[in-house]
Amino acid sequence: MKKIRVTLTVNGHTHLFETDPNRTLLEVLREDIGLTGVKEGCGEGECGACTVIMNDEPINSCLVLIGQADNSNIETIEGLAKDGKPHPLQKAFVELGAVQCGFCTPGMIMASKALLDRNSHPDEEQIREALAGNICRCTGYKKIIEAVQSAAEEMSHE
Amino acid sequence: MNNLRTVGKSEIRVDAWDKVNGSAKYVADIQVPNLKHGVVLRSSQHHARITSIDTREALQIPGVIAIVTAKDIPGEAIYGPIIADRSPLANERVRFMGEPIAIIVADTVEIAHQARKVIEVIYQPLSAVFDPEQALQTNAPAIHPDGNLLSHFHVENGDIETGFNAADLILEDSFSVPRIYPGYLETEASLALWDEEGKLTVWFSSQKPFADRHTISQVLGMPKEYIRVRMAVIGGAFGGKEDSNMAVLTALAAWKSHCAVKIVNTREESLLAHPKRHPARLYYKVGVKNDGKITALQARVYMDTGAYASYGPAVGQLLTETVPGPYRIANVSADTYVVYTNSPISGAMRGFGSPQTNFAYESLMDMLANRLGMDAIEIRRKNIWKPGDRNFTRIIVNQAEALEDMLNRAAQSIADLKNISPAPGKQSGVGLALAVQTMGLGRGVPDDSTHQLEWLPNGKVLVRVGAPDLGQGLNTVAAQMAAEALGIDYSQIETALVDTAISPDGGVTCASRMTYLTGNAVQLAAQKLIDSLVDEASRLLGIPREKLRYQDGTLMRTDLEGANPISAADITGRLAEEDKQIIASGTFSFPYGPEIPDHLPIGMPHVKFCLAAMVARVEVDLELGIIEPTHIVSINDLGKVVNPILAEGQIEGGIAMGLGYGLSEEMLLKNNKQWVSRLTEYLFQTTQDMPRSMETIMLEYPESTGPYGVKGIAEIATVPEAAAIANAVYEATGVRVHRIPIQREDVVFVKRS
Repeated sequence: MKKIRVTLTVNGHTHLFETDPNRTLLEVLREDIGLTGVKEGCGEGECGACTVIMNDEPINSCLVLIGQADNSNIETIEGLAKDGKPHPLQKAFVELGAVQCGFCTPGMIMASKALLDRNSHPDEEQIREALAGNICRCTGYKKIIEAVQSAAEEMSHE
Repeated sequence: MNNLRTVGKSEIRVDAWDKVNGSAKYVADIQVPNLKHGVVLRSSQHHARITSIDTREALQIPGVIAIVTAKDIPGEAIYGPIIADRSPLANERVRFMGEPIAIIVADTVEIAHQARKVIEVIYQPLSAVFDPEQALQTNAPAIHPDGNLLSHFHVENGDIETGFNAADLILEDSFSVPRIYPGYLETEASLALWDEEGKLTVWFSSQKPFADRHTISQVLGMPKEYIRVRMAVIGGAFGGKEDSNMAVLTALAAWKSHCAVKIVNTREESLLAHPKRHPARLYYKVGVKNDGKITALQARVYMDTGAYASYGPAVGQLLTETVPGPYRIANVSADTYVVYTNSPISGAMRGFGSPQTNFAYESLMDMLANRLGMDAIEIRRKNIWKPGDRNFTRIIVNQAEALEDMLNRAAQSIADLKNISPAPGKQSGVGLALAVQTMGLGRGVPDDSTHQLEWLPNGKVLVRVGAPDLGQGLNTVAAQMAAEALGIDYSQIETALVDTAISPDGGVTCASRMTYLTGNAVQLAAQKLIDSLVDEASRLLGIPREKLRYQDGTLMRTDLEGANPISAADITGRLAEEDKQIIASGTFSFPYGPEIPDHLPIGMPHVKFCLAAMVARVEVDLELGIIEPTHIVSINDLGKVVNPILAEGQIEGGIAMGLGYGLSEEMLLKNNKQWVSRLTEYLFQTTQDMPRSMETIMLEYPESTGPYGVKGIAEIATVPEAAAIANAVYEATGVRVHRIPIQREDVVFVKRS
């Protein structure tokens, strides 16, 4: 298989790769860059655990072939805190009990961030819609939705 | 009790920050040098003889290191948690689709996949059976040598005939409940590696590391001292991770290849090959007086346990114990048949038999009420356990007084919810269900749990919890209860993940028992830890022991007025210089006390019960059959809430899982004879499916044997949901459903005809 050259900017750092074209963005993030906060839950875009932000859009990184991500800007959970200060979503998830087993959490937070980046005051239904592709088996979602609302509130005061 | 320092507070989980910044490491995230990858070749057949397995071509592929099949197993080839009936790799015969046949170890997952494709397995197909009642017919295919009936439980109390003769009304009906998937977000994963001393470390996402160590030791034929099972962060379990298969496979792969090997299941493998909740068909007959008092209940239940026993016999027993629900019924007869089929294995899952019977008996309670012209509250009030009552296995019910309180609160919720008008074009209904769930493993099963405390040189205390935190927050509540017992701040506690080489044996995280057992054990350990601290302080400082008094993490001198308190760190710091530590462990044994009758009509009865009530409001679109749950009120007795936000979260998660059971989840055999094996077909509840209103009411009727009054909460919240929804659907539409998940056509077509 002929390798391809790919440039990715991940959490502000630019990476140049030569890699097999049949790999997914998820595999490259986890295996080549070591960003294991990005989780694989199903490998077919149904659970949302692998959600990252690509060019400001939340995407299932298991469904993106690495070539499709060439020259893109990727944000993952590892890049969310700035200068050691947690993002309001991280703080709200921690404080409001939105985290249990934690396996859906990185994807859930990134999907939430993508929402808040484009809509700083989502209502409950908009939050539910934005997170509909992210499965959580532990929480029943109530505290997750409350955490997103609380983070939005806090961010509006910043 | 009101002066508690941290128990009862919503402390932040010990692992919360790691989980929101991506640093929490699950098994799949672990990297070690020269790591090889394993993939599993699984049966494409439901039932077949294996004539041959040809691995020659696969072994020629560059990068393939080893292929393991059943003939390579060095130790005992058959294992099982209750009955040894299963080889970790199928030997000459496969009994379900997805059963492991071979493991391919290779440099990369891709190479292993490539090799898997060219392994040639020749099958001689056998006829297969997927229905427990059909599997009991004499002409059914024989799945195991001793017949397809794995277990039969028969329990009787009173005289069933007398009971039915005394009844004014007798109802008979049958109910079906589905095979569902625990659905933890983290699929099964394991990594096995050798150390310099020739010992094997197995990282595994598990509920029972010490039992896994035992099984690995048997299968490899290696003493357990040479095997170390370690926990990473666990991404949910819900009973499904009480299955050792994955750890055994990884250990075999490491054994054959002499390499470090990681195996991570795909979602499809997880769905096909790991334990599910038992599907069942339940035949009930109930007799009742005109005043609503139930005189007799008879049940026959057929459970599909799949191809191997797993925890089937235990689930069958627990199911039997919950047949009559939380009701005082003088005459009860229950027969449960746990039957082998060629379906996927059923085993432990949150509820463990209790959700199955609940759907039947709580549907029937409403059906009886309806026939008698009573309401849902009234008929239950006539029949619920009262304090001092014994259940039908002759065990005294703990905290039975909570039921009356639950009914009163439920009545209020029902009244409030009935006032809400449905959206245009829809009909609304409010339904109720009560539930009972047992706690602990059952008498006669070793039910001890050991946990350890260590006073660190920096003055903090490390809690080595002996059983895994599955994500529910066990380590957090253990830390809170340890802090409470020692009188120190929650922030002064650290926790560690289970490592069988270091941790005490806390047993299996299951059966709604860990908070209860851990708290009790930690209290015992704390007293010993304090005693050791005083001993060491006395020795180091040369102060007589009786002149030192422990208080809230410090030592006070009783002989010197106004002397500065001596901090624990002063002592532990000095001890560290001597290379000494202060460590204490506590073991708590689940109380199966002398008051429990010896000659019980069941083998290993459970003696503590968790109780709950649920009220559900639904809106039904009768044209389309769409059922929308709008409100859920979950009322549970927790004895004492250790961490409100964690407890509430666990209950809310239980609500989501219960809704899936009632409305959307089922692992079906499709018309093409393939199982539902993808999340496009197996439908979890999403943010959009969940009711917009979820209320959690937490009652605290202290459990006399519980730490701070604690009892279990892990399972019960899921139990009453399907019945509460079905009863609400009946109120909305007049349609009584007999199977879950409720299908749209069950509502639309029945209504139209």
